[in-house]
Amino acid sequence: MTSVLATLGAILRRPSGAAGLAIVVLHVLIAISAPLIVPHDPALQDSATILQPPSTVHLFGTDRLGRDVFSRTLLGGREAMLITTLSTAFAMAWGGVLGVLVALVGGKLDALVMRVVDALVSVPWILLVMLFVTALGTGTAALVPVLGFSYGLSVVYLARSAALDFVTRDFVLAAQARGESQWTIASRELLPNVRDSLAVQGAMQWSWIFLAVSSLSFLGMGVAPPAPDWGQMISDSRGIMRTAPWTVIWPMFFLSSLIIGINLAIDAWAKVLGIDRVQRTPGP
Amino acid sequence: MTLRKSMAALLLASAFALVAAEAHAEKVFKRANDLSYGGKESLDPISPNRFYEVNDMVYSRLVRQDDKGEPSPELAVSWTPNETATEWVLKLQDGVKFHDGSAFDAADVKYTLERIKDPALESPLASVLDFIDRVDVVDPATAKIVLSKPHSGLPLLLMDYRVRMIPEGAGAEIAKTGIGTGPFKVESYDPEGQTVLVANETYWEGKPKLDKVTFTAIPDSEARNQAMLGGQLNYNTLTLDQVPQYKDNPKFVVQDFPAGGWFGLVFRADTAPFTDPRIRKAMRIPVDRAEMVKLMVGEGNGVVGCDQPVKANDPFRAELDCPPDPEGAKKLLAEAGYPDGIDIEVHTADLEPGMVQFAEVYQQQVAKAGIRVKLTLAPSDGYWDDVWMKVPVAMTSWSARPADQILNEAYRTGSSWNESYYSNPAYDQILDKARASLDINEARKLYQEAQRVLFEEGATFIPYQQNGLRVLTADVSGIKPLDEDFIRWHLVDMAGE
Repeated sequence: MTSVLATLGAILRRPSGAAGLAIVVLHVLIAISAPLIVPHDPALQDSATILQPPSTVHLFGTDRLGRDVFSRTLLGGREAMLITTLSTAFAMAWGGVLGVLVALVGGKLDALVMRVVDALVSVPWILLVMLFVTALGTGTAALVPVLGFSYGLSVVYLARSAALDFVTRDFVLAAQARGESQWTIASRELLPNVRDSLAVQGAMQWSWIFLAVSSLSFLGMGVAPPAPDWGQMISDSRGIMRTAPWTVIWPMFFLSSLIIGINLAIDAWAKVLGIDRVQRTPGP
Repeated sequence: MTLRKSMAALLLASAFALVAAEAHAEKVFKRANDLSYGGKESLDPISPNRFYEVNDMVYSRLVRQDDKGEPSPELAVSWTPNETATEWVLKLQDGVKFHDGSAFDAADVKYTLERIKDPALESPLASVLDFIDRVDVVDPATAKIVLSKPHSGLPLLLMDYRVRMIPEGAGAEIAKTGIGTGPFKVESYDPEGQTVLVANETYWEGKPKLDKVTFTAIPDSEARNQAMLGGQLNYNTLTLDQVPQYKDNPKFVVQDFPAGGWFGLVFRADTAPFTDPRIRKAMRIPVDRAEMVKLMVGEGNGVVGCDQPVKANDPFRAELDCPPDPEGAKKLLAEAGYPDGIDIEVHTADLEPGMVQFAEVYQQQVAKAGIRVKLTLAPSDGYWDDVWMKVPVAMTSWSARPADQILNEAYRTGSSWNESYYSNPAYDQILDKARASLDINEARKLYQEAQRVLFEEGATFIPYQQNGLRVLTADVSGIKPLDEDFIRWHLVDMAGE
């Protein structure tokens, strides 16, 4: 616990870390409290209030169906956050365990698993996800396994290479000499050592998956109406961006500030832990 | 020559070149293909996948509508029925040639009209014109259409945008060649890329003013809007909320015109639970249709209807009343075994502007009747082939058609565009009687009766008929604010740069 607090303190001492963390915390608070604080039913359509500019009644204005953009924006991250969190947990769990295990066992199993992962990673993630979504349908129950699986592939790489640093170390060899099972070695000796790398990777995965969910919603394959969602709101109103900019600016601002906040916080965190964050574009 | 002189000469030469280029600037009219048939768009005018925007320009009809919508001569100069309306004699326009140089005559009329019935073609027109028994060639300039049942409204049906004349015997290759008698000829045909038409210099009504027309595939409605805004198109359809982007811009002209096209939601009557007419009605009656008009097209731009496919100013439209009735819908659902409401999945696509919005409004409107709608957005390209008439509940979109045509084409048992798979022998009989009736008042009563039957137990939700909205670049002239098949394309012109 003290180490967690110490890390947190170290992150907060960095300006970028403090800013990032503040943004993320604000987003989480909004997402949790939104149902209690929104002034209007986010799905309520009203022909009398179509495309009204921001006012005291509708702080962020209304959209083409007369719905309150403020209420929709505050609520618009919730379902995507839920899907993202569950998907990330799933991706980290299977990717992390498989990566550590193949690093430890090595040999033919390692070669076989990694070639399969190579093959799957070579397919662009959006195609893979769209293929699954088309077959399984949309909704949380379909998206979590699909995204968790696709994004877990890159976790396998990371966990394996992090664990490979340790498999030839003395304490692992000692454990093998004691005759401990592979599973025990993986969980007791390796996982604690790769935990930090995986945690940072997990946070990165979260922001990538969040963007993926928003992209899918933009394409009409993610969060389905009437639940409001930022990606879907941007998609709905992108045609009236010039004449009713308030319909897209707010969901864009919320979506991008969340992603920026997370990345600032992760950068600071990685530096505090002394981990070199791998610079790469989003995607598994 | 000094440097200065040679520079001057060069400038002069380029100025001349510019002027010369200006004088020969091709007038290219640019349009989009929404790719709703996924590249299977066919130049065969009677194909279910007909590429109608192109076909409108390359083929001619026998009869076309004047600006008021009344039958007026095109390739037929006159049409005369016998006393019982079982035989119609058509006198044909003289001196008309197909794009391949062959002459148009009565044999082509016979071939074109009799081909519609070929069951192998599965033409949606077959159910509309199935009462045509045969066509006799009286002489090259005279054709006699012989009906199996009397029909006093034949000229109205010959105005259909698909009854377009093709050369005798051309059926096998017409889908690719597009040989017609229209103002434009097909230069290249590539629905997934660009289809190019060129002016038919020998068009019988005079040489077209445009040199070329292009159709570029753009499946996404917003992408088409952006292409229009960016000057890459000369013609596009609009939704109400896109209008402000164009209204005060001198580069564009927005046209608002009475059209009568409609969106609908189709419930397959052959698929449970919609096999039960009570459920079909429960799906339709909770909606506040007047509110839907305001939300979708704006007050005054649409006419509320009670699931009638017939447009507002059609003489055969029935006056029905259908206020929102969520309680009635709940009761019907309970009777049909769904006391706790019902879950349905609605398929739509971002194909035509407003199609997704329509489904969202429907979802919200029926929620109060306990109907829980899951919206599924299908890919736009290929929607009409892969989704419509395949899934249990799907969005549909129709342009305005005469009452007799649409009531037969979309609801008669077994017709190929019977999108709801509705089948009711009593309904079919009403239509038979209406067609046979030579008294217009009696016919009207019967067509109205058919619409009442559809409201009571039909499977298509049609909340309103809407006006048309299109945008043109300001340099385009000759397009009146009327529906697409009223346009005389040979008169359309573009001012120079």
